[in-house]
Amino acid sequence: MSEEKRIVKSYEEEMQSLNDDLVKMGSLTESQLSDTIQAIVKIDKEAAENIIKNDVQINELRAKIDDQISTVLVKRAPMAIDLRTTISSLKISHDLERIGDLAKSVAKKIEPLPIDLPQELTGSLKRLGELVQKQLNNVLDAYITKSKDKAVDVWRNDEQVDDLTHIAMNEVANFLGKNKKNLELATHLLFVTKNIERAGDHVTNIAESLYYLIEGEYLEGARPKGKEFVKDK
Amino acid sequence: MTNNKVKIKTEKLNVFYGQKQALKNVNLEIYNREVTALIGPSGCGKSTYIRCINRMNDVIETCKISGSIKIDGQEINNKQIDVVRLRERIGMVFQKPNPFPKSIYDNVAYGPQIHGLADHKDKLDQIVQTSLKKSALWEEVKDRLDEPGTSLSGGQQQRLCIARAISVNPEVILMDEPCSALDPIATAKIEELMEELKKTFTIVIVTHSMAQAVRVSQRTGFFHLGNLIEVDTTDKMFKNPNNKMTQDYITGRFG
Repeated sequence: MSEEKRIVKSYEEEMQSLNDDLVKMGSLTESQLSDTIQAIVKIDKEAAENIIKNDVQINELRAKIDDQISTVLVKRAPMAIDLRTTISSLKISHDLERIGDLAKSVAKKIEPLPIDLPQELTGSLKRLGELVQKQLNNVLDAYITKSKDKAVDVWRNDEQVDDLTHIAMNEVANFLGKNKKNLELATHLLFVTKNIERAGDHVTNIAESLYYLIEGEYLEGARPKGKEFVKDK
Repeated sequence: MTNNKVKIKTEKLNVFYGQKQALKNVNLEIYNREVTALIGPSGCGKSTYIRCINRMNDVIETCKISGSIKIDGQEINNKQIDVVRLRERIGMVFQKPNPFPKSIYDNVAYGPQIHGLADHKDKLDQIVQTSLKKSALWEEVKDRLDEPGTSLSGGQQQRLCIARAISVNPEVILMDEPCSALDPIATAKIEELMEELKKTFTIVIVTHSMAQAVRVSQRTGFFHLGNLIEVDTTDKMFKNPNNKMTQDYITGRFG
């Protein structure tokens, strides 16, 4: 979707700067999420602290993007593709911020976890984390290349995220079933799993916003749903 | 919102000013009791288009028009049409307010008088009052109806011109950049007025302000170099136009 440049150079620059900041925010969020997944699998408490500390950078970028968007709205009254870019950027930046918050929230859960977390508990969680991370990477890629098809792929793949969440949660539930003493640890892990799944939902939101940006229409149909969480008997 | 009843229909409308072709095969439907906005760069043909509807181009000697212009299904682009009667049905408001050098009262009363719409003074008084009320000017001028129309502010003069246009009870009001000489407050008053007027009249407005087109109209047509490039609901045109030229124009990529 190559566009000719706007006649007003400063308008062109404002939109470019908005785009650049959103890409930057995306890449920051992506590395926060990927660091969090690594940290939970390795129970790396030092890394977790860094993740918690770094979240502020994402929040600052979001505030900057919000400000840029309100300036563009009042100054330019953007139309058509510019209007859709502006609205979608606002929504995408908020979804990215939420992904950042969820990564931070997962990182906070690492501190109370034992170093020797049983392998059986982290296998599916690791796969889930990596999948969501890949989804985020793909949607950011789709944003940069303005690819409608890639956005739809990400949107569809959320089903896999839901399925893996279901598996990971069942593993934790089974672990809890074995011994009630595992309650505290299991609760932590359930929250972690749910937070990663939610990050996946925000990725799907981004895919939807991106689709609207490119096509000017909303993605039709219900979002694909995986199996609901039901404890295996 | 849309009643989808076509009020004005032009087919294969071609307009030449001498050698220069100002409109090329324009097919456009204007819906009843809606505001249709026409946008496009200067010289694109949008003013030419509305001037065809009330045969204003007749006064230009070199102007040649072919094609069909129908109002309520009746062809108006032929010699049999009584142009004075046509202009009673189709009022016009121009870019610069142009009140007659007469009193406020006479500005509004002139049309009904020449068209024989009032047989006595009370009736004429009533038309003047109703028209000034409809154009949201009455409260501001009711105590000074004898003063010259030109003594009013620009925004008031434009509303006076709207009162003059509606005093003969037209069906259509054509507006050629009616707010381009007005400040934002006066513009807002005209736009507010249009919202009210469209309940009774079919309005076609030519505007250079895209924000205004979005605010006042239900449908928008985009002209370029005499061609009607795209026409659609205003919502669609400004959020997601089909044509790349439309998009480039409204996002400031050419013009």
